[in-house]
Amino acid sequence: MMRKHLREISVAGALLFLLLILLVRSPKFFDAANLRAVIVSDAPVIVAAIGMTLVILARQIDISIGSQFSICGMVAGLLAKQGVPTPVVALATLGTGALFGAINGALVAGLRIPSIVATLATMVTWREAMRWISEGQAVQNLPESFLWLGMSRPAGQALIVLSAFALLLLFAWGLRALPAGRAVYAVGSDAEAARLAGIRPPLVVFGVFVLMGVLTALSALLTAIQFRNVLPGEGAGLELKVIAACVVGGVAISGGRGTLPGALAGVLFLGTIGPALPFLGTQAYWEKALQGAIILIAVASDAINLRRRRDVGASLAH
Amino acid sequence: MSAQALPTDSYPRVRRIVLSHEGVLALLLVAELVVFSVIGRNFRSTDNALEIVRLGAEIGLLALALTPVIITGGIDLSVGSLMGLSAVLFGKLWRDAHFPLPVAMAATLAVGALAGLLNASLITRLRIPPLIVTLGSFSLFRGLAEGLTAGVDNFTNFPDAFLFLGQGYFFGAIPAQLPVFAAVALGYGLLLHRTGIGRGLYAIGHSPEGARHAGIPVERRVTLVYLLSGIVASFAAVLYVSHNGQAKADAGTGYELRAITAVVLGGTSIFGGRGTIAGTLIGLFAIVVLQQGLLLSDGPAELAGILVGVLLITAIAANRLVTALASRRTSKGV
Repeated sequence: MMRKHLREISVAGALLFLLLILLVRSPKFFDAANLRAVIVSDAPVIVAAIGMTLVILARQIDISIGSQFSICGMVAGLLAKQGVPTPVVALATLGTGALFGAINGALVAGLRIPSIVATLATMVTWREAMRWISEGQAVQNLPESFLWLGMSRPAGQALIVLSAFALLLLFAWGLRALPAGRAVYAVGSDAEAARLAGIRPPLVVFGVFVLMGVLTALSALLTAIQFRNVLPGEGAGLELKVIAACVVGGVAISGGRGTLPGALAGVLFLGTIGPALPFLGTQAYWEKALQGAIILIAVASDAINLRRRRDVGASLAH
Repeated sequence: MSAQALPTDSYPRVRRIVLSHEGVLALLLVAELVVFSVIGRNFRSTDNALEIVRLGAEIGLLALALTPVIITGGIDLSVGSLMGLSAVLFGKLWRDAHFPLPVAMAATLAVGALAGLLNASLITRLRIPPLIVTLGSFSLFRGLAEGLTAGVDNFTNFPDAFLFLGQGYFFGAIPAQLPVFAAVALGYGLLLHRTGIGRGLYAIGHSPEGARHAGIPVERRVTLVYLLSGIVASFAAVLYVSHNGQAKADAGTGYELRAITAVVLGGTSIFGGRGTIAGTLIGLFAIVVLQQGLLLSDGPAELAGILVGVLLITAIAANRLVTALASRRTSKGV
């Protein structure tokens, strides 16, 4: 148990250690308002990270989610501004995401284009299409009925955080318990073996991209309801942020290895570092450098561990 | 397509060139040039032709450096961020540490070399996938640039002699970047296509294990391409600073993906083992000409991005199709 989930446990441990330092050095970090702000801003990232974990487990990657996020957010904002009822807005947004996901899935599973290239192309295409149509203009003054889904701010915040965690639990259970979940691991570990076992890898790959699209759309929706305006560049850079969180949480880029609780720990750890810096007397500008260093240290320690274990295995074999 | 018109086997060489990925792309580039000469204002002038080189120089340098990286089956996402870090360091060394410009430039290139070595050692010694290593250094380098400048510091007022490199003309017409860019392209072309080291890089891309058995020092070769990638990215940063007259932490943001787009569009396989410098150059200019052409014919600039995305998919899908057909034909022949 300890050994199998070493990465998840060590990232969670690092997060706890960071919180402990904050508790000693600057208890103000734990003011309800600040803590709530940190968790609420992490929630949409958690939702996107669920999708990215599925995609990476299936040995694929999706770098178009930033562009998808921007477009889905704008779709939600524009519809809400037209006075469309909120449930319809939500459905249309998720549908848009599913469509984007299906296009990526078709390119990768159908045309067999490597996912990094296919999603690089869709990323550029959607981003520029977005800039062309929106002309860089934000959707402003969203109606009250849409903000926080028409609820009070605390109720809306609670809903956002709860739905993110509920989704995470649901998918974590599905990955372990459902045949479809195990098929994702199987395809990511060895697509040929999975095929021989009766799984259809293209279908699984198509499926994870569609889910990625829907979850990205949900992430955009959960962000759009928090603010009065939706900016067209909102999602820029989201893809690498989410991939980084998954990697830090132990989701292996080579597919088939990793868990959703690990990805969650990655999101929370990277998401806490930034807001914590000012409380520890450091300028917030160093956030990205620190995140980069954490990614490198996490994967390097993983690699060193793996090598040591392999050496032990080799000496036993002799 | 046009090859169908040729007598089938009398021009095998012509046929091979025209039907190759680079050949099709070159035809596309010619088509772009023809269309924009007709509909664009002043597109046909030599000034414009040379201006296109200026626009493409910085991303072009990154694309050249990424070509051998991708040929070995790797990737380097950190080059754009390294441009930001290098630009900021260059500015700091010159303005705050009062280094003479040439010394500041040399020191910046040395930092680029160190950055490349950091990527290389994590990839070769710890065997971490290049995508992950350079994703981490992508954040690290950009973050260091932001931290060093507190996110706002901007270096300006560089002397004219330095700005000439990015804004001046030789003989009143040739952009100062052109000879520099041509030299780097030539260097990479020779390295990849005329040396044993270059052939080794293709072998590594096909199969690192096989290359090792063939006696190729795989780790040393891989280290070399990432080292060069770091140096070239830093050099691109110096050109960028000279071109724009300022150095900020955001220099080169998003350039890595644009450069990768040019390389992949140019026919380099993302799995490694296949690709040419000529292809990368044609891919690069197909993109830059599209942007500049749309600009001069009052088309929407965003259309260029959309077309590049569509082109990328079409190019690779077509490539897959041709390869599949060819392998079917040979297997039938045998």
